[in-house]
Amino acid sequence: MTAPLDLLRPGAAIRRLLRLAALSASTAALSAILLLGISGWFLTAAAAAGTAGVLAVQAFNYLIPSAAIRLLAILRTVTRYGERILSHRAALMAMADLRGRLFARLAAQDTRVAPNLSAGDASGRLIGDIDALEDLIVRQPTRPASLIAALTGVGLAALAGWLAALLLAVMLAALPFLLRALAARLTRAPAHEAAEALGELRRRYIDFAAARAEIAAYGLIDTVLADLAGPAARLDRARARLFRGEGAIAGFLACYGALAAAVVMASARGEPPFVALALLAASSAVEALAAISRTAFRQASVEEGLRRLAVLLDLPGDLRTAPVVVPGSVALRFGPVELAPGGRIALTGASGSGKTMVLEALAGLRAGDLPIAVGGTPLAGCDADALRTRFALAPQDAPMLAGSIADNLRLARPGVDEAAMWHALETAALAERVRRAPAGLDTVLGEEGGILSGGERKRLSLARALLAGRPWLLLDEPTEGLDAATERGLVANLRDWLDRTGTGLVLVSHRPHPMVLARERLDVAELVRL
Amino acid sequence: MKYKAVGLFWLLDVAGAALFAWGLALGVGGLVSSGRAGGLALAALVAGALCRGSGVVLVHRHAIAAAQAVADGWRARLLRQFLGGRIARPLTAGESATYAIDHVRAIEEHGARFQPARLHAALGPIAVIGLVAPASWVSALILLATFVPFLLGMILAGSAARHASERQLAALSALSGLFVDRIRHLPLIRHFAAEERVSRQVAGATREVAARTVAVLRAAFVSNAVLEFFAAIAVALVAVYCGFSLLGLLPFAPPETLTLAPAFFALAMAPEFYLPMRRLAAAYHEKQMGEAALGAIAAVLPPEDDAAAPATAARFTGLAVRDLALAWPGLAIGPLTFAMSESDFVVLTGPTGSGKTSTLAAIAGQIALAGGSVRDAAGGRIAPESIAWAAQRCLLLPGTLAHNIAIAAPKAAPEAIADVARRVGLGPMLERRGGLDLAIDHRGSGLSGGERRRIGLARAILSGRPLLLCDEPTADLDAVSAAGIVALLRDLARERCLLVATHDPQVIAAARLEIAL
Repeated sequence: MTAPLDLLRPGAAIRRLLRLAALSASTAALSAILLLGISGWFLTAAAAAGTAGVLAVQAFNYLIPSAAIRLLAILRTVTRYGERILSHRAALMAMADLRGRLFARLAAQDTRVAPNLSAGDASGRLIGDIDALEDLIVRQPTRPASLIAALTGVGLAALAGWLAALLLAVMLAALPFLLRALAARLTRAPAHEAAEALGELRRRYIDFAAARAEIAAYGLIDTVLADLAGPAARLDRARARLFRGEGAIAGFLACYGALAAAVVMASARGEPPFVALALLAASSAVEALAAISRTAFRQASVEEGLRRLAVLLDLPGDLRTAPVVVPGSVALRFGPVELAPGGRIALTGASGSGKTMVLEALAGLRAGDLPIAVGGTPLAGCDADALRTRFALAPQDAPMLAGSIADNLRLARPGVDEAAMWHALETAALAERVRRAPAGLDTVLGEEGGILSGGERKRLSLARALLAGRPWLLLDEPTEGLDAATERGLVANLRDWLDRTGTGLVLVSHRPHPMVLARERLDVAELVRL
Repeated sequence: MKYKAVGLFWLLDVAGAALFAWGLALGVGGLVSSGRAGGLALAALVAGALCRGSGVVLVHRHAIAAAQAVADGWRARLLRQFLGGRIARPLTAGESATYAIDHVRAIEEHGARFQPARLHAALGPIAVIGLVAPASWVSALILLATFVPFLLGMILAGSAARHASERQLAALSALSGLFVDRIRHLPLIRHFAAEERVSRQVAGATREVAARTVAVLRAAFVSNAVLEFFAAIAVALVAVYCGFSLLGLLPFAPPETLTLAPAFFALAMAPEFYLPMRRLAAAYHEKQMGEAALGAIAAVLPPEDDAAAPATAARFTGLAVRDLALAWPGLAIGPLTFAMSESDFVVLTGPTGSGKTSTLAAIAGQIALAGGSVRDAAGGRIAPESIAWAAQRCLLLPGTLAHNIAIAAPKAAPEAIADVARRVGLGPMLERRGGLDLAIDHRGSGLSGGERRRIGLARAILSGRPLLLCDEPTADLDAVSAAGIVALLRDLARERCLLVATHDPQVIAAARLEIAL
């Protein structure tokens, strides 16, 4: 692994869990080998004693081996359970930590320069790619366990002579290399090919899905399906090859275990009971080593996961404490127009002329080289904190977090209480509607019965911007989707609120009535041209 | 090949195991009696190894073929439905891809890993019992006897595991939803300086899901431990019984006379009895994911067509929308009632995200209605061939510009194509870029958003279809171009029925009727 390890390295509590898991795994592997080996020895020795006569039978100590067999059966079960639960708990805790830290790192970026990840893509990384790494941690404890199993197998084989032990040792030592070579040969190329074909299929599919209305209306589906058939067939072929490769490796392992037993049998010298023990120990030692084969299988997907996570891991900086202190107001300058703190301006211009873009640039949501100055500093030179502590935006599309109405209002500022929420909702002419909602402020948006219309969402977004308590309010089409009476009420409330708080306003509205809020107007076309 | 036949290949694995066990028994027996294992024993071991290996290889080979045949059927059906048919609710392109690509993959994994293992689990233990019984019927009986408490334990632990894992699947998809939601809204979160608070919330939710997953795994591992315990106990009991029987120390009258070789065979076969069940348990995750995928797919496929629907109208005579309602989590539209004549101009308005495009799609028959009806003015169903769609971002297929404009009217004469292109304002672009033979690729490289929208409009006009659904025809256009498009729409409304989703005041002013969502 070459990725930034500081973020991936599990904490001390997790490492302790992993050590315990490794101990459990080793005990389980040891008990599994001994259970079968001692059973074989016991059987053969018993048969020898049984045929040797009554005296031999009476001299035969059957208590210790039969008790050991039962003990090992229970020990194997318990330690295997312990290994699983400990290693999974460690992995899940590590991944939860990693997800939290990566999200925080992503959140700490400046929107204007942040990498352009779609939500689906970023959450795919935080969920799917991290899951691939989970596997890496879960398998960690099996490595010492495999080693111990192999050593035990060789040790027991020595009871059947040094030659058997030597041959088994050679076979076991060669196994990891053989598996790695086989995996590389059989699975690396198809794994890569499958990832490529999947990407191609997804890219094309998403293009078509975006144009689905036309495909359906004009009956173009057969053309589209023909276009997708290529990558789909490539994907199927690659995945089939991958699966067959996995089968070949599993088949190889099954052969190898039995062959190890055959080699031990052919080279064994000594007492039959010990040979029986060595035979069974040899084949179960190979089985215990098979855990390594899963490591080899998954290596490709782990590497792919790390590669995709690298984009997030490489992001600079860690979460800073957000500025909570709202500084005093500042003057704004839009090209030729100078606005004192508390000024109110409406941006005008045809649709598509860039009004929304200006608001978003002021809100710190997009980089813009506009002739605008905030408190004397050109916009392009303002840092993110300087903008977000001064402006509160109610965007055109009124985005809402999945959660309750209160969750969305609390987003505006830490420590917003219910009274403040209701006050803001009154101003936004939405209080009545929220009171009627099934759970009031706790109504979950988007859930049955708690659905807000487009106009209501806009007013909720407005209430949120009011609650933020910033010195400048940025409103984008605040009354779109409202009937005339509600619009008049809302505009009157807003005017009172602006008068009372001395907050400044930058307004974009194609509906005429809200324009009465503004004292000045500016054509955006002029600003963009400058 | 069917899954059944695939499972049968696992029996080859059982046969290999039996050969191997026989070889061991023969070898150990030979060592005790004559001091030599013998060539036959070695040959049996090697033959058993090869038999096992080839069984595993054959299972994989045929399982993936069978699974892909099933998954391909689903993919063909879903692609057709999601890209060209009717769906229960609008899906984002990403969601749609999850269904048609990722869920189909889960179905394939289910078929390739779980289905063969299921048959193996049903047949394998019976085969093992059948092979052990001739060697030592008491050992076979011991294996069977451990199976009864094993089954009880599995039923108890298994149902606990299932409930727990259902809860966990729900928690996981909620977590994934939370990630998608908070990441999508990161700009808003940063704007309100709330990233620290939201990060804390997300970290808390992640830890909670991890804790819940541990609880689920505990249940799953308990059922695994039940399995392991009985597998180990089966080996131990067979070993102890055989050992004491060989010593002649059984506390009861020996029910069978046992010698070393059959006893050793029974011991070596004992672990094989539970092996198929352990393989099945290993494929449990694939089983769940496959079943979850099928459930999720069923939820977005629309209900069957209304059998009582009237016959399709022979000719479009106008649009009659009555009580049209759409509803899905997050949005409710309607009921809407309005009528349009053969040459008419109506606009659908409402803020972004209020469902204008979905309403158009519902009228085009592409999204299932929650209530109401969309009919021809004469009462019949509207023929799909009567509806043209001008998209915001039109579909482009590799080929020439002419080919792309004439997608819905492949027989159109070149002059007609050129006329339409000029009519929608593509004239200057044609002169600049070399005419209708301009090569277009998948991505529409070199075309602006406005040009792309005009191509969509030209395509819709050229199709000659009487009902024209237009999605935001002027969004992102400068004032002059927008005015040109509005004039064109006015003009078109004299010859066809025009339903336009827009929030542009100019377009709204030109329409006969505004329907606000």
